[in-house]
Amino acid sequence: MAEQKEKPRKVASMGMVPYEMALGPTWTRFFEGFKEKRILGTKCNKCGRVLVPARPFCPRCFEPMEEWVEVAQEGTIVTWSYVNYTYFGVTPDMIPVIGATIKLDGVDCGTGMWTQIGGFDIKDFELVTKKVKVGARVKAVWRRKRQGNFRDIDYWKIIE
Amino acid sequence: MQKVGIVEVAQSAGTESPLSLMEFTYKPVKEVLDKVGMKRDEVDMYILASTDVFHSGMSCANAFDWDASGAFMKPASREEGDAITSFVYGCMPIMEGKCDTVLVVGLIKGSENAENDTLTSFVADPFYSRPVGIQETTAAAMQMRLYLQRYGITEEQCAKVVVKNLSNALFNPYAHIKKRVSVDDVLNSERICDPLKALECAPKSEGVCAMLLASEEKAKKLTDKPVWFKGWGSSMDTFYLGDRDLLDTQLKTAAASAYKMAGISNPRKEIDIAETCEPYAFQELLWCEELGFCAQGQGGKLIDSGVTQITGELPVNPSGGVLAMNPYVARGLYRVAEAVLQIKGKAGEHQLDKKVNTALAHSTYGFCGQWQGVVILGS
Amino acid sequence: MGRAVAVIGTGQTKHGRRDDLSYPDLVREAVKKAFEDAGITPKDVDGVVYGSMPSMMEGVAYNHFYFADALRTVGKPLFRTETCGSTGQSVAHTAIHWVASGMADIVLVVASEKEHEGDAQATMMTILEPFLMVTIGGAPVAFSLQSREWMGYYHIDEDKAREAASIVSVDSHDGGLNNPLAHIRVKLTKEDVSKAPIITYPVRLYDVCPVSDGACAVIFASEEKAKKICKKPAWVKGIGFRGEEYFIGDSSKAVWQSTIEASKEAYKEAGITNPLKELDVAEVYNPFSYQELMFLECLGLCPPGEAPDYVIKGTFSPGGELPCDPSGGVLCCNPIGAAGLIRVAEAALQVTGKAGEHQVEGAKLALSHAMGGAMQFNGITILGSEL
Repeated sequence: MAEQKEKPRKVASMGMVPYEMALGPTWTRFFEGFKEKRILGTKCNKCGRVLVPARPFCPRCFEPMEEWVEVAQEGTIVTWSYVNYTYFGVTPDMIPVIGATIKLDGVDCGTGMWTQIGGFDIKDFELVTKKVKVGARVKAVWRRKRQGNFRDIDYWKIIE
Repeated sequence: MQKVGIVEVAQSAGTESPLSLMEFTYKPVKEVLDKVGMKRDEVDMYILASTDVFHSGMSCANAFDWDASGAFMKPASREEGDAITSFVYGCMPIMEGKCDTVLVVGLIKGSENAENDTLTSFVADPFYSRPVGIQETTAAAMQMRLYLQRYGITEEQCAKVVVKNLSNALFNPYAHIKKRVSVDDVLNSERICDPLKALECAPKSEGVCAMLLASEEKAKKLTDKPVWFKGWGSSMDTFYLGDRDLLDTQLKTAAASAYKMAGISNPRKEIDIAETCEPYAFQELLWCEELGFCAQGQGGKLIDSGVTQITGELPVNPSGGVLAMNPYVARGLYRVAEAVLQIKGKAGEHQLDKKVNTALAHSTYGFCGQWQGVVILGS
Repeated sequence: MGRAVAVIGTGQTKHGRRDDLSYPDLVREAVKKAFEDAGITPKDVDGVVYGSMPSMMEGVAYNHFYFADALRTVGKPLFRTETCGSTGQSVAHTAIHWVASGMADIVLVVASEKEHEGDAQATMMTILEPFLMVTIGGAPVAFSLQSREWMGYYHIDEDKAREAASIVSVDSHDGGLNNPLAHIRVKLTKEDVSKAPIITYPVRLYDVCPVSDGACAVIFASEEKAKKICKKPAWVKGIGFRGEEYFIGDSSKAVWQSTIEASKEAYKEAGITNPLKELDVAEVYNPFSYQELMFLECLGLCPPGEAPDYVIKGTFSPGGELPCDPSGGVLCCNPIGAAGLIRVAEAALQVTGKAGEHQVEGAKLALSHAMGGAMQFNGITILGSEL
């Protein structure tokens, strides 16, 4: 019997898998709105709620949501978080960011997208805690060139 | 123990859909609810079956799958792996008398993810099997080689499974692959992993299957023809291929438990139709042996005899089986759904031309059938 | 109703950084201990339920195949149940339904994670589809968003919340010191916690769970078998599970309906009307100390918006009215897939008087809990010493 000389080892392993995921008609239309600087939601004819992002059906009433409505581009911060750490896929140049849930005026849910607050030096944490508050008002700032995806909203600007 | 009745099923077709997974999942779930006239929140419990990042591109798939499955704020859970387990799980709360109705849904969009072989290579352990290229197809090819050699099964006999199943699929509106092929077409198709030919391997399909289960009393109220859950069995094999006899799988154990629970002593005589999971053509023959439809090593003769044809005494895969429609993960629930439709007499153009009292649904996944499950349904 | 079900044995690995073992061997360590604890052999088991976080965590898909031997499931049925962070509760629920249905008498439940083998935060970002909820962040962001929503909703003073969160952290870490299997075993003061480096404001280092390797196994049995095999079974008194919408903004995360409704269901089944009074100990899933505050309210253990007051007056501390996480909780040990099942195992240890140094004296009724998803799912299991 050979004796074990090394302490238990590890081996490096890495996998890459490609995907092509269907956006579907509902979200394709939602992002078409982004190209035109419009935020679209869908309205449930049963419970009357307007949801953003648009949904094919109401998760609660389970009826199709076929009525489209354009919603306001201003809203209120429900909650936010200051992200300042890295992990695989996130490099130091990508942080910090401020993630937030924003309730747009006239919409019955948070945006449901983890939107980002910006437009000032967010590396200055003192300044961040002064400006960014639950309940603060924000406004969407669009990119000049829009491609019909979530990046079309460059950031959400605090309305002083 | 309460009886469990299957009230209604709905399935989606296997061809690539432009719908998002959320939209795609919603349709069959809504269809089942509408058919029985129930509201989403009137169902007592929901059991989902889907799969995580490798086959779906999303981790914790239940997070995304939740809304379209109808599970918002209802008692619920999710099975991972094969959807036939979600069916069996769905029966449990009814049997214990806790729930009157359970909605089961299995879902996947095969068109959105990479080739099955890329994905199943991640099933292999990272030290021994993965580096040498073991995945479901290479493993199956080794199993087929052994099958041909040990029992003298011919490649023609294996090809006949493809011819039969794809011909059945022509009459199934939900099947993915619709083409008539001959034994020669199969034998002349590309030898992708000898002895496996391209036409002997299942495609990758879309598939959402939804099913409403109910207690005896409730089932009789909701439908004139409930189908009853009679038995199930399942068994797992050891991991390393070298540790197993690849022609002696755990299907025998799984089938024995299912037959015992359902009170079946002669499966060949008592079962009217079987839906098996045969991602590789030869496996249908092997599974038929292990299910007790013929003696060991006689799978080739069984297909030659015509018994398993749609017009035969014991039709196997009248829907076209997995060779015609392979929504990995959901496919186990499709087998159950097809068995239900045959008993209900609602299979449409591929309905058997005889009375169907007892049906068997089988599913398997893992290398060379590492996990096996069998469900028995009755009228 | 179905048959009564009990826990007849539990086993946990030594949690922490377990580079000394391969993943299947880690699973085997917990399984072996559970069989020893129950005094039965794998032959006695009718089937197995397994769960973990998604396969990207360790890079092996459907790892129950790889673990078949370690799980002692060869020749037996296996269910794989997976609901993200709440997996540990969900696997227990599958087994409970299985035994209650009469289709099995004894079921082994196993959950595991070997977090050091992959990148947990990168994995958790893939819970989000790539079109709509894309961002940078991972779990700490999600749960600090939730903490802030809760603080904002009830206008909770930031310093008061900070103090309460620090107490939660100190209490849990004291628990960890009493639990030889816990991953993190350090003595902390409130100041250590409140002055620690910021992870995602207001969450600081000791407000966050560690990255752990670990596995847990729990054996469930029918009433008949439990009485025959086990001197002191832990009876399943009630279970509950709820999930809400996928999109994070759709439901309030401050008044978390899935926690509220899941616990209400479990209390109802267990015949509990005043959980704070009737429960003797709670193993609340607390990967983030701030989140525990919100849980205490949503589990009905104190009035909404008042968790900081109750925590500060010591209600949930050792020796308090309802000690929470005497094992050290998730703050001291978080092999994610297993963490929810560890809560069940710890509840079983408490009501059977087997928790050793972290035993809550005379505990008869215990709550265990886990949450998961994109702030979406909650599962509860209540265990008791009496049938």
